[in-house]
Amino acid sequence: MTDQDTTGGTGDGPTPGELPSRTATGSSLPDLPPDAARRLAELEDRPGHKGMFTSDLSVNEFLLIKEVGFHPLGFVMGSSIYHLGIQTRRWSQSQELAKLTGAMYNARELAMNRMDAEADELGADGVVGVRLDVNYYEWGSDTAEFIAVGTAVKAEDGHSYRNNQGKPFTSDLSGQDFWTLMQTGHVPLGLVMGTCVYHIAHRGLGQTLRTAGQNVELPNFTQALYEARELAMTRMQVEANELGAAGIVGVRLEEKTHMWGDHTIEFLSLGTAVARAADDHRIPEPRTVISLDG
Amino acid sequence: MTTPESAAGEGNLSEGPNETAEPDGGVPDGGVPDEVLPEAAARRLGHGAWSSALSVPDLATSLALGFEPAGYVQGFSVRQWRWIGYYGAGFSPAAGMGAMVGPRVGPGEYSEGWRCPHGFVAGEHRVYGYNFEQAWVERSWAEAWGAAYTRMIEEAEALGAHGVIGVTDDMHYLAGTGAAEFSIRGTAVVVPGAPRPSPPFSTFLAGQRLAKLIEAGYAPVGVVAALSSVQMFGYCITRLQLSGSGAGTWSGGAPGVGAIVQVGKAQRAARHLAREHLRRQLGGDALHGATVTEFEQEIGEGDLAVHCTIKGTRVRRFKDFDPLPEPEPVVRLR
Repeated sequence: MTDQDTTGGTGDGPTPGELPSRTATGSSLPDLPPDAARRLAELEDRPGHKGMFTSDLSVNEFLLIKEVGFHPLGFVMGSSIYHLGIQTRRWSQSQELAKLTGAMYNARELAMNRMDAEADELGADGVVGVRLDVNYYEWGSDTAEFIAVGTAVKAEDGHSYRNNQGKPFTSDLSGQDFWTLMQTGHVPLGLVMGTCVYHIAHRGLGQTLRTAGQNVELPNFTQALYEARELAMTRMQVEANELGAAGIVGVRLEEKTHMWGDHTIEFLSLGTAVARAADDHRIPEPRTVISLDG
Repeated sequence: MTTPESAAGEGNLSEGPNETAEPDGGVPDGGVPDEVLPEAAARRLGHGAWSSALSVPDLATSLALGFEPAGYVQGFSVRQWRWIGYYGAGFSPAAGMGAMVGPRVGPGEYSEGWRCPHGFVAGEHRVYGYNFEQAWVERSWAEAWGAAYTRMIEEAEALGAHGVIGVTDDMHYLAGTGAAEFSIRGTAVVVPGAPRPSPPFSTFLAGQRLAKLIEAGYAPVGVVAALSSVQMFGYCITRLQLSGSGAGTWSGGAPGVGAIVQVGKAQRAARHLAREHLRRQLGGDALHGATVTEFEQEIGEGDLAVHCTIKGTRVRRFKDFDPLPEPEPVVRLR
């Protein structure tokens, strides 16, 4: 992120120079609610108090995470209730709705930040099995709750697996995927995402009539949707680059209209940024097996 | 197709009109825009880190095969879309008696007609029935799928990839627009040290299924897909059978239970046509992992549209089959 040009920004939308990235705003971590601090303190070992862990790992996931040398510390979460605001759209124009993009971005980052803060509090190296959800409630119009949950883990060998921002890695990988990733000689760095809220133009009557009764390509629609997805993915890759990633695995591209109506779509891309742990890592030769069950 | 020019470089979010919103007039009707990647795509592909839609197990398998991910690639085409509709002049199948003149089909296209055996004429009695291929649907489907595919392959070429694995395709309606979007995506891979095929290969397979294909001595060449479209306008007997009241003398001897000949022929024709369309794309190669999907729409009382798609990966033998290593029996802990 060298070419900073913030003049085109809208104030609350992320601009190229300043993605509202949790990777970039390390110092402004929101304080945890007192209840969270109390709950987390219960999990920690200290003189006179035997700690324990909570996790949403399945038994298999627990086994595999232990196998690669990590220990679960606790179930962590963060949430953010966000008022999404309104942005006017032009009926006949395809364009990005920067305010809404900014809002969707910020809200998720806040939730992730708070989850990171809980993990940090536990002294975790990372968070596995992260899920990022959006909920809508009846009591708030244009209001959504963004929630991030996962299981904080710590390496048992004392080696730090924190990312280049000094923060616990986050990843939406299951325990099985986490184990497999480690076998390929990669380590997760962080859950990365990019979003773009886009308004797809309505077609004018003239345009509709001209192509009535034919199956033809609508080049402007093709281009608008293409552009929107590429923007979302570019932003995800910018986040990954900031983490010094070699790549992103398990990229998912989600499309949601939320409550904005047919022509406004959020494109969200999500994936886990990974880096090579060592250059000379040899991937174990796969073996053929026959499963005796099922 | 204009290329949007965002002034502020990558990830630009500046507000204001985006230049994708050109009036519709720039491209002639039915034309495919220039095969140029959107500027955002070029920007994204120029970035350092690769992205991959592969799951972690599929990534691990790919790395073991020597395929290194180069990036997530995608292609789209949005079309104004309908499945049924155009007939030759003089053909109005839905009218009471049915049409005496059959639908117009091109040379070599499928059509078949039926005539009422009853020998009487009444306003509501469908005397003529027709099955016929809708080549225009097949052509526009192939065009849309092909455009999305070409765009994905162009992204892969821009990345210097050898191929695209784990391809997925989709078609869905854009709510409220009367348009449908065709999309094709996959993960571009590089095989270090190997000569680069042009165009890059592509396959629906990834992970262990791809590993097994290669183990068996086949290399993927490209994904192929075809659609066939057959419309059926039932004559009196078909209509009676479809309404469940086919038994008795009234039906002119049509059995009360059993095959509905005209429907069966329409379905067989659709499957046959899809297979033939696909065969033409194979160029002598084998087809692996074909999936056949058939869907029917009722387009009026006793009238049907039958559509059939076949998709699969075109494969070519590149080495003799080595016997597989002895498999090891395992019990999975779930």
